[in-house]
This record gives sequence, C-alpha cells and structure tokens, in this order.
Amino acid sequence: MKVTQMKIGQSGIIKKITAPEPIKSRLFAMGVAKNNRLTLLDHTIKKQTWEIEVEGTRIALRKEEAEGIEVEP
Amino acid sequence: MKQIRAVMVGQPNVGKSSIINAISGARLHVGNFAGVTVEKKEVTLQRGENDIDIVDLPGIYSLKAYTPEEHVAKRYLIEGQYDVIINVVDANILQRNLILTLQLLDMRRPMVLVVNMVDELEEKGGKIDADMLSTLLGIPVILTSAKEKRGVDEVVEKLIEVYKQKECACKLFYNEKIEDEIEKLSHILLKSPHFNDPNLARFYVIRLLENDEEIYKIVHDLPIFLELHEALGESIKRLKLEFDADSVSDIFADERNAIARSIVMQVMIQPQKETLTDKIDKILIHPILGLPIFLFFMWALFQITFEVGSIPMDYIDETVSNFASWLRTILPAGDLNSVITDGVIPAVGAILMFLPNILILFLGINLLEQTGYMARAAFLLDGFMKKFGLQGKAFIPLVSGFGCTVPAYMAARTLKNPKDRLITMLILGFMNCSARLPVYVLFIAAFFPTTSAGNVLFTIYVGGAILGLIVAKILRAILFKGEPEPFVMEMPPYRFPSIKVLAMELWIKAKLFIKKAGTFIAGAAMIIWFLSSYPVNEELQAQYQQKIEQASSKTQKVALMNEFAAKNLEHSYLGQIGKVIEPIFAPIGFDWRLSVATLSGLAAKEVVVSTLATLYAVGEANEKSDTLINKLRENIDFKTAIALIIIIMIYSPCVAAMSTFYAEVPQWAWRAFYTIYPNVLAWLAAFGVYHLLELLGY
Repeated sequence: MKVTQMKIGQSGIIKKITAPEPIKSRLFAMGVAKNNRLTLLDHTIKKQTWEIEVEGTRIALRKEEAEGIEVEP
Repeated sequence: MKQIRAVMVGQPNVGKSSIINAISGARLHVGNFAGVTVEKKEVTLQRGENDIDIVDLPGIYSLKAYTPEEHVAKRYLIEGQYDVIINVVDANILQRNLILTLQLLDMRRPMVLVVNMVDELEEKGGKIDADMLSTLLGIPVILTSAKEKRGVDEVVEKLIEVYKQKECACKLFYNEKIEDEIEKLSHILLKSPHFNDPNLARFYVIRLLENDEEIYKIVHDLPIFLELHEALGESIKRLKLEFDADSVSDIFADERNAIARSIVMQVMIQPQKETLTDKIDKILIHPILGLPIFLFFMWALFQITFEVGSIPMDYIDETVSNFASWLRTILPAGDLNSVITDGVIPAVGAILMFLPNILILFLGINLLEQTGYMARAAFLLDGFMKKFGLQGKAFIPLVSGFGCTVPAYMAARTLKNPKDRLITMLILGFMNCSARLPVYVLFIAAFFPTTSAGNVLFTIYVGGAILGLIVAKILRAILFKGEPEPFVMEMPPYRFPSIKVLAMELWIKAKLFIKKAGTFIAGAAMIIWFLSSYPVNEELQAQYQQKIEQASSKTQKVALMNEFAAKNLEHSYLGQIGKVIEPIFAPIGFDWRLSVATLSGLAAKEVVVSTLATLYAVGEANEKSDTLINKLRENIDFKTAIALIIIIMIYSPCVAAMSTFYAEVPQWAWRAFYTIYPNVLAWLAAFGVYHLLELLGY
C-alpha cells in the first residue's frame, strides 16, 4: 500500500520507491530505501504534508512524494 | 614540522561544529569558499611536531549533491588538497549516516570515523561496539560526545596516526557482479597516461556508474573517453538487467543500505525508551495547537528583535554622529572631509544600527534551527505556502522582511533549495520594511482623515504581503515551469543547543555583516553623496551667502538656508537626473521633486521624507511636521499621493538591501532581473491606480 493510505502509527517494510531524480536520491540519503521499516507518524489536517520515520530518522514530505513510497504492512 | 590537512565531512545535524569547537587549543578561522557565499570554517592546531588544519565542510546528505552547500562540499572532497577525511556520524541514526560513510570509503583515502552524540544513545539504553565497527569498516572509529568533551582529543591523535599510515585499510566490497564491472572499467581508465591511481580510478568508475555529472566532466577530456563511454554503457545495461533495476544508482543505493543494515545489526544495541522528541512533537505539531504555538513563537521573536534591538540603536546612532563631528574637526576642511563625514560615516552608521536587530534575529533563527523546531514550522506551514509556489521555511524570511529586508535576505539562507530561496528573495521586497513607515505616515497624515489612518496603513501592509504571494505564484509558474518541487526534509530530534556553537555562529554573522557594511554600502553611500552635492554652483553660493548675512532675523536666515539647500539640490546631479527622468514619472503625476525623492529612496527609504523636506524648502523635518504636510497638500493631488505610496510599496528596496541580495545571489541574470522587475511592476501598478482614480473623479 502507499504511505498515503496508511493510518497514523502504522508501520511497514518499504517495497518500492517511485520518484523522479533528484528526489529519489534524496529519499535514499535520508534512509528511505528498500527493506527498511517505515512508520507513519503524522500528517497535517489537509493531508498535504506527511511525517514518517525510517530507521530512527523523522522525515517530512509532501503528498506527491509520499504517494510514491509503497510499503508492506 | 609536518603540515596535515584534514576535512570534516558529515550529514547535517551530526554536531560537526560542536566537535570543532570542543577540540582543545584549536583556533577558528572563518571565511567563504572561493566564489560562493557558503561559509567556510577552518581550525588550526598544534600537536607535537604536527601542524594540523581542519576544514569543516557544509553538511552533506550524500555524494549526489543537491543544494549549493552540498555542491561546495562535494567539489572540495573531489578536488581539494587534503590528507585525511574525518567523517562524523550521529550514533542515534547510525544506519542512515553509514550510507554516506560508504560513499566516502569508495575514495579509499585515509579516513577516521567519529561516532558523535554517543551519550544520547547510551542514555536511551543503546550501545555501539567501536572495535567491531572499526574491524568491519577497516578504519579507526572513535566514540565521542562533544557535549561531555568525551573522545574529542582522541580524534586528533587518530588523525595523525592515519596520516602516517598513508593508505586506507578499508576493504569493503560490493556484490561480485558489480565489482567485476568496476574492475573492467577501471582497467580502461588506468590506460590513460596521467591516470595511475587504482583507488581513484575505482572511485571515479563507481561515480560514473551512478551517473555523476561532475565526474563525467572530469573524464570527458581524457583520451580514452570514447572507449570508456562505450564500455560504461554496456556495463550499465548488464547491471540493470542482472539486478532488474531502473538505474545503477538504485542498485548502489540498495547495496549500501544492505551493508549499512548488516553493520548496524552487528555493532549496535538499539535503544528502547520512547524519546523526548516523541513527547514534544505530540504538542508542537499537534494538528490544532501546532499553528497557534508557532505563531506565538514568531510573534515573540519579532517583538524581541525589534523592541530589544531598538535599545542600542540610539547609542550606535549617537556614537556614530559624535565620531563624525569629531572627525570633521580633525580632518582638513574640504571635499575629503565632507565625503567622509557627510557621506560615508552616516551611511555606514545607518547600517550598523541594524546590527543589533540582525544579531537578535539570527540568534532566534539559529535557536529555532538548532533545537530542531525550524523543521516543524516548515512542516506546519508547507501546505499553505505551497499554494503560492513557496516552501514552509520561507515564512521566516518573509516575516523578517517586515522588520528589515537586509536580515531577511540573509535569513533566506535557511532555504536549502536554490529555487525556493531565489523566489523567496525576489518577493521579499514586497514585505514592507520598517524604514518605509515614515513615508506612509507622512502621506497618510497629509491625505487621509485621522480616523482611517490605521486602516490605510494596515491595507498597505497586507496589500504588500498579498502582492508578494501572488508574484511568487507567477514566478514559480513562469520561470520554473514544470520543474519538480522536492520537499523532503529531515525532522531532527529536539536538542538543547550548544551555547558555544550559538556564540560562534553569531560571531561569524556579525563579522560578515560588518565587512559588507564597510565595502558595498560605504561605496553606494559615496555615490549618492556625490550625486547630491555636485556640481557646486559658486554663483548661487555667493548669492545666498550674501543674502543670509544681510538677513535681519533668525527665522529669515533659516528660511534662506532652506531655500539655498533646495536650490543646490535642484542643480546637483541628482536634481538633474530627476529632471531627466521626470517624463518617465509624468504619466503618474510626479513632478521632478517627487521623482528625485523616489530616487533618493533607493539610498534608504526614510530619506524620501527628508528629501521632500529639502525640496519643498522646509528644512529639517520628520513625518509629523505640519509645514511639510501643508506643502504636500498644496503641491500634490490625491491620486498622485496614492501613486507614490504604491511606488514605495513595490519598487526596489534600498541599496543596503540590494547589495545584500547581490552578495547572496551570484548569477548576473538574476541580479539584473531583480534590479529591473520591481520597478517596472511598481510603475505599472501606480499608473493603473492613478488613472483609475482619475476616472473615478479624484
């Protein structure tokens, strides 16, 4: 499922990342890579900005980027 | 004596600055990296017979550089002259940090790994086995805590040790299939006569496989380029097929991530406790409370900046004018005396007056950044700012713009994405700075009833902000059309800031600002002074001197002196320019006086008021002066006054702000655009409103 379909507090293993460069490299550099565990921490009321946690790093992203990350719960 | 040069590299927020600060006996030097406005921190120290020099590179997430800071760091790593790499990582997020470490290890240069903030990890019940980590990576590992000053001096010892060994003992390898391709390609690269370092060849090949443009440019001129290029294409094709991946970068990313994961599993006991950050975040980015809390912080920051900051302003003002009058008596009378005491010193003084504001604002911004709150603010505001093509963090420079545009331009440095930063800086001038207030107050007093003064002023401020947001939207749509707007930002854990680091940052800011005031701004002031005082009309001078001497009463004398000043300004180059440009301003109802006043506003916005006072020959005046208000009512009609207010709202900010922009933005095309477009926009807006009012019968 996509990160945007997760519930707050839910976690899963990252399976696929679809994003154009340079966003993809940036995500990798922040630890968003295949087989790492991702937890959805929060999103703003309008679901425009999302906060996730991957291997101890908290990352803020926009809806567009969050949609490109697929996890397996 | 041996000279050892080291570079300090690490991801952002790992505490590199605190380590540099904690090394005993180190002396800090601050400057800029050549050709860019990226700060360069460098320390020198002595240990035994060694002279050690450590350059602190800007924080870098990966060798795939993205922000201007990262490009600077990367270029230095590839081209710079140094002997040892000191890689600093955060113990709490070791896995992610190790990915950069692995990229650095590709270079096979002498390297030391510093695992910082280990105290935080241990407090939470975690642990790292340094010996094991050292064995796995093949480089020395030191556990440090800059806060507790633990292990810091050991970094220097290990650095010397590694320097003596020369070679890197690191023996990390990727998947066999990848290594095969690296081997093949290295072989071709090494055929090149000037290329005989197998380690460097390996590094270049890895970067090339990852489609690194900067390395591509370097190898492009080698004679074996064609052969290499062809072989590279084939290797990439084979690897993509073998690993079923979209790109070789993806393969390397997965490889490094897998290596980092397995290393962390072997050397680290993970902490268990819920962190303080979790608890604080529950409140600070609360869906409902988050925004009011943020607005309160902002309100407090600007209150302190402009209230507390105004206290030393008067002292600085007084000291500078005392200094100027003292100098006037010391220097021989004449042009040199005048240019220094009337031109340069008051102008530089006017800028130095902003120093307290700037320092307080920066202290606040640094605090917000170092505690980790800045990222939360960006998180909260990004949804709103995105609608206008801006980014969450842009809020802070924009709000600072209401105080003074100069620190606001500098505050835009918190925006790491160059496009976001540029758009923000291009619209900052529309946030009305405090120096424009006297002009508005004067014109509102002259042309509006007292009861509606507050509303008019409010409309001006809100109108400016709305205009800025609309322009941002347009700029994003036209100039950066179709480009991705990445917003992927780390939310660092909340931390108590280090006082030492805060003080150091502040000192750096103050130093750079004073340097700027002494060069750019002094130069601009000299030009304005020259234009307004030359040429000297001797005939006129003699004529008025005679008249003043003959004048009977004191009021008469003052009136004549004012008249003389006005005449003098009319004949000066500035006055002449005003008359030349009068036709440009004529369609919006300006005479040459208003044109000159508008021009003089480029020196500083408050100057508009004093210039008008001089030109209407009422002598010393401020925005509350009744004589000036009456003169304005007599000479200017309502629609012209509104046109002037609109011009002041939109056109170029003062030279101090403009020179700050030029210093921050190196590209000439953007500088030119920035210099021209607000003035065109201001004129068009004023023209539109002027004629609309005319139609309505004003």
